[in-house]
Amino acid sequence: MNAATYPPPISRGVVFQARGVRKVYHTGELDVVALHGVNIDLNAGELVCLLGASGSGKSTLLNILGGLDVPTSGELIYKGWPLDGSDENTLTLFRRNCVGFVFQFYNLIPSLTARENVALITSISRDPMTPEEALEMVGLGARMDHFPSELSGGEQQRVAIARAIAKRPEVLLCDEPTGALDVTTGITVLEAVERINRELGTLTVIITHNAVMAEMADRVLYLSDGKIVNTRHNEIRLPASQLKW
Amino acid sequence: MFDVPTSMISPLERKLLRDLGKMKGQVFAVSLVMACGLAMMIMTRSLIMTLETTRSTYYQKYAMADIFATLKRAPLSVADQLATLPGVATVETRVAVDVTLDLPDLSAPATGHIISLPEDGGPQKLNRLFLRTGRFPNSDERREVVLGESFANANGLQTGDSLVAVINGRRETLKICGIGLSPEYVFEARAGETLPDHKRFSVIWMNYRALAVAYNLDGAFNDVLIDLAPGASPEPVIQEMDRLLAPYGAGGAFLRKEQASAQRLDDELRVLHALSVAYPLVFLSVAAFMVNAVLARIVRLQREQIAQMKALGYSSWQVGGHYMKYVLVIGVLGTLIGGIGGRLLGAVLVDMYTLFFRFPSLVFKMDYGALGLALFVSLGASVLGVLTVVWQAVKLPPAEAMRPEPPADFKPSLLERIGLTRFFSPVFRMALRNIERRPWQAVFTSSGLALATGLMVLPGAMADSIDYLLTFQWNSQQRQDVAVFLSEPGSGRGFHDLEHLPGVIRAEPIRSVQARLIFGHRHRKLSVTGIAPGANLNRLLDDKSHPIAMPEEGLLMSAMLAKVLGASIGDEVEVEVLEGRRPILSIPICGLVTDFAGVAAYMDISALRRSLKEGDTVNGAYLALDHKRWDEFMRSLKDTPRAAVVMVKQDQLSAFRETTGKSIGILRKLYFVLATIVAFGVVYNSARIALSERSRELATLRVVGFSLAEVRGVLVGELAILVLLALPFGLLFGRGLALFIMSSFSTETVRLPIVINSSTYSVAILVVLTAAGLSFALVSRMIAKLDMVGVLKARD
Repeated sequence: MNAATYPPPISRGVVFQARGVRKVYHTGELDVVALHGVNIDLNAGELVCLLGASGSGKSTLLNILGGLDVPTSGELIYKGWPLDGSDENTLTLFRRNCVGFVFQFYNLIPSLTARENVALITSISRDPMTPEEALEMVGLGARMDHFPSELSGGEQQRVAIARAIAKRPEVLLCDEPTGALDVTTGITVLEAVERINRELGTLTVIITHNAVMAEMADRVLYLSDGKIVNTRHNEIRLPASQLKW
Repeated sequence: MFDVPTSMISPLERKLLRDLGKMKGQVFAVSLVMACGLAMMIMTRSLIMTLETTRSTYYQKYAMADIFATLKRAPLSVADQLATLPGVATVETRVAVDVTLDLPDLSAPATGHIISLPEDGGPQKLNRLFLRTGRFPNSDERREVVLGESFANANGLQTGDSLVAVINGRRETLKICGIGLSPEYVFEARAGETLPDHKRFSVIWMNYRALAVAYNLDGAFNDVLIDLAPGASPEPVIQEMDRLLAPYGAGGAFLRKEQASAQRLDDELRVLHALSVAYPLVFLSVAAFMVNAVLARIVRLQREQIAQMKALGYSSWQVGGHYMKYVLVIGVLGTLIGGIGGRLLGAVLVDMYTLFFRFPSLVFKMDYGALGLALFVSLGASVLGVLTVVWQAVKLPPAEAMRPEPPADFKPSLLERIGLTRFFSPVFRMALRNIERRPWQAVFTSSGLALATGLMVLPGAMADSIDYLLTFQWNSQQRQDVAVFLSEPGSGRGFHDLEHLPGVIRAEPIRSVQARLIFGHRHRKLSVTGIAPGANLNRLLDDKSHPIAMPEEGLLMSAMLAKVLGASIGDEVEVEVLEGRRPILSIPICGLVTDFAGVAAYMDISALRRSLKEGDTVNGAYLALDHKRWDEFMRSLKDTPRAAVVMVKQDQLSAFRETTGKSIGILRKLYFVLATIVAFGVVYNSARIALSERSRELATLRVVGFSLAEVRGVLVGELAILVLLALPFGLLFGRGLALFIMSSFSTETVRLPIVINSSTYSVAILVVLTAAGLSFALVSRMIAKLDMVGVLKARD
């Protein structure tokens, strides 16, 4: 299957609407402005890449979208639900039910098997898939009862993805998901992300330094100095399997 | 706290100070636990040193005698014979008698033990008097006396006051010309009493002639002190003295260590010795466990820093030394706090000893040697505990150490392997597998918790034992209100007089006789007390508080006495009577009596009289009184000249509460506070370590949507398992420790029954659980502040 034959995203409804989102960190006597009034709409089923140098504000934006942090000012609406100014409990519920995270370091619980790591999430979600389904989706059906120490880096990251999507989140946020992996393994992981995005219609946002990875996105947002300085729409999304770097 | 702005220190030392500053809560907790142990060790060692040096100075300066003997009456010329015995350096003869004192403010008569000053009016050679105020009696004054300080203080008597004494049946008004004390009466109590009763017992010194004439002892003595020549062996001297004094009714000479006051002081020192090692050692062990846990954690977290230091060219020794300095800082801080604490506590506690012991001055002396030893022991234990951890860290090649650690290796826990998986939630499985993966860490943490739990048992056990003792001794055993002893054994008429004093409801006669009990090569000198069969006032009880029937023939004796003699029920003991015709009897032991003060032996009063070949002699009585006629009884008793010693049960109980009860109470409270600090420190330290080691997991759970309460549950779950595991072991250990320490308190003069109520265990559990709860609450606040993203984006 090539990019041209991909069906259109399942839904194009707006998931996130950010207006004038600013984030200022107070570090000692210095105020560091991480986001300078970001305006952006992110749609359901989209695969979006955030590109930018270190300190450009990518991670801050991702954290705010994922409810790990709150904007200093500005408006952030998730499906009509204002996230800015939400309290800790609301953000916990938001993360629990709506968002899946994947980080560069897999952050699996070493004392739980792959299946149990996923079950940790399914046990607290509203409408989860089974851990087995989630692991099948990332191609790990055969390695479910292995502990993290018995899995390769790529496999661990795929468990992290399975854990992120088992709750059927509206949003999948990936912060440098292949940063710690070699090319081949990285591509396997991206294929898993791509499949989730395509089959579940999950809005997927990927942070990367790797411009090649942007080829698999619907939209590429370039950040610099806390602002979105450029936006690119890919007419054709390259399948992850065809990426090379 | 640790931010020392100086360019004199190396970068590594600066790193050390800042690292310690970041974990100051833990550093403080560990140092505090160490300080508790050190404070206790330093306090007890210093008290031992204070008492020992004060005693030896006092004994030396005021010429405490080496050998003591009492007799009926011997002419003064016998003293010259004693002086010629080989090994004897100094002889001092005296007249010593017990008299009744009548103080207007006291309802019951008090007892005075009057000791004569030298007959030639010269200075005392042995057991010299220390005058606190006033002067010695003028040589021609018959009625001037020096009064014992404790009695004077307790009754508000001063130089210039007077008091009435019944001296050989005649009321005499004595004038107090001085207040003093003597090395012979550091512990000032009636002969055979284990508790001081300063209100009703006094030692009194007066001129020889006045006393000797009154008791028909002019030109004679009934008490003798001997000082040995340097290097002389006491046994041959005692043998010769006994041979020489036997015709004069001597009860057997004895050594200083058997003298009542000296023995009591020795016993107190034995208690302190018992407390100075085992209990503080447990504290220090806990501290060593904690240091190990803390350092193991630092080293794990700083794996990369260690690699970088080595990559930069620091040697393994330098890096190892750097981490050892963490231990040193904690140790030095603990020693400082412990040293200061021990000194302050010791200075306060030394006052407690003035309840029991009288010295010219008792000034707290710090045992700096103990401080050094304590520092050496605690640092040694801590350093040994962390050697492996540090060695493992420094032996890693830098390149390997700089790579992130692979995910920790886990496997299903034992409980899961035996098929219990389906009952466990993922969170519970995490806890179990974490524990099983680092079993030694779990064992160390649990051991620390168990030791902390165990430490809580001793203070409770002390309180339980005192409560039991009070009930046993003053409710079950002693049912009399008053025990009266006559100045001389007399016929049944003496008992008749006592029995018919106003207010007496019931009276039981006593015939006691001084004797030496011998079994094999062991012997003890004490009174054998004859009591009436079916006696119900002073009951003899077994170890289960059941009354023991008095056998028609045979002895009942304190279980402790049997132990000291090495005898048991059925054995025949040789009873060498030291009065009258001094028969030597062979009597079987028929039962063992449980008692907690001194040692005693009892016989059926008729059997004892038959053995002594005498009629219905008595020398005292136990009396139960009609309390409404108390004052009337006491007034009459004061007018009974032959009543030399009166022991009022209620007063003894108060004396017990005021002295032993109070001192044990102070120690108990102190130990309770220290044990609580340890319990809190251990749990807090464990919780902090768990938090820091598992912050990544906890942050992950927060990110994926676990609520704060759920994440707390994960951390608390594992610690709760360890706490619950530790509790039963801790209680068992605490029981063992309390039994060990309290049985080492047990001496011939004072014993504590070993009783541990379930409430003591409950309190121990409650304190540990409360400490756990508070620690969890503190750590929970830290979980809430976890930087989720920061933790997750950091490499392991």
